[in-house]
Amino acid sequence: MLLGACGDDRPALTPPGLPEQLAGADSARGRLLLAERGCLACHTVPSLSGPASQVGPALDQVPRRAYLGGWLPNTPDNLVRWLLDPSAINPLTAMPDTGLTPEEARDIAAFLLGRP
Amino acid sequence: MKSWKVAGLTILACAATGAALGGAMVVFGWYDVSATGSHTVVVHEVLDVAQTRSVQRRAAGIQVPYLDEPRKAREGYGLFQKHCVQCHGAPGIAPDPYALGLNPAPAALVATARDRTAADIYWIIQQGIKMTGMPAWQYRLTDADIWNIVAFMRVLPTLSPADYRNWDKGNEQEPGLEAATPVPATRAGDPVAGRAALQQHLCATCHVIPGIAGARHHVGPSLAGIAQRPYIAGGVPNTPASMERWLRDPAAFKPGTAMPDLGLGAQEARDIAAFLYTLPPVD
Repeated sequence: MLLGACGDDRPALTPPGLPEQLAGADSARGRLLLAERGCLACHTVPSLSGPASQVGPALDQVPRRAYLGGWLPNTPDNLVRWLLDPSAINPLTAMPDTGLTPEEARDIAAFLLGRP
Repeated sequence: MKSWKVAGLTILACAATGAALGGAMVVFGWYDVSATGSHTVVVHEVLDVAQTRSVQRRAAGIQVPYLDEPRKAREGYGLFQKHCVQCHGAPGIAPDPYALGLNPAPAALVATARDRTAADIYWIIQQGIKMTGMPAWQYRLTDADIWNIVAFMRVLPTLSPADYRNWDKGNEQEPGLEAATPVPATRAGDPVAGRAALQQHLCATCHVIPGIAGARHHVGPSLAGIAQRPYIAGGVPNTPASMERWLRDPAAFKPGTAMPDLGLGAQEARDIAAFLYTLPPVD
């Protein structure tokens, strides 16, 4: 998109998380969980078909988002925290606790962050 | 006929070479954008003429009010010390260290007052100048404030450094000068005014905003299709009234939010909300 970014593979000063975070998480399972746990009722996800709901934000730019819940820095570990208990991060939030296990939250985080 | 053709082809070839060289400057990053690297004399001269003419053209219709009331210069002095001296300096006072690194260098306003017209100076303060570091004060100061600064700048070249420092001693400021009365919103939201106000409050540095140059960052959420979103701030029902309140005081809705209070006026918040509700769903 940007000329300056062409052919420049140097990392950003603060990349969004380290590879060892979420190690062992199953991104493909995370993708299926998004469909199974009703996430698509509120969010659109590029590679999943659904009702194109706008209740929550679209989940296509999660790796680039700076904050979760409006203030929590977006790191892999914080994304798992957010998924497990959104109202602990933002008491106002309309996002419910969907009853995920920590493993499921890690799988979903891996998918949302574009991990293999 | 033949020589006419040769001349035409030569011009075309030159134009193509020029365009290719210009393109290469951009694509390969040859042009030095550092503030330590000065423009060449020719480039600087061209930019200076372009800027001067542009200001003159746009300021041509401005009616200059009577500026010689002492009260106006007195109020302008306070504003000048609060907002101008940091970058421009004043008689006997250097700009702050960071401002010394600005390129182009902030003008010495004694020279500006000597060279430029009242209307031009008013216009520059109000509108700012792209890519110079001179901000637009339109959304920060009232028209009366800006004219007060112009009124003080009329006095400025007549002051010695000591006169400047002590100028307020003999010109006591009226109390309450700094405390501007809040201006209520007086009309329905105007998306066109909102677009301009949004660009003047740096929304584009954090949000994706369809149609706004440079608005491609994900520090805050994308504002594409915000009209279709049922909630703002994660859980507040998205209505024009709540959007206005959110824009004016985000922390009141959501303590700890990364969204700052940008000092929006009531009308600006209403206009920006009106603009946001026109945004298409996809960037």
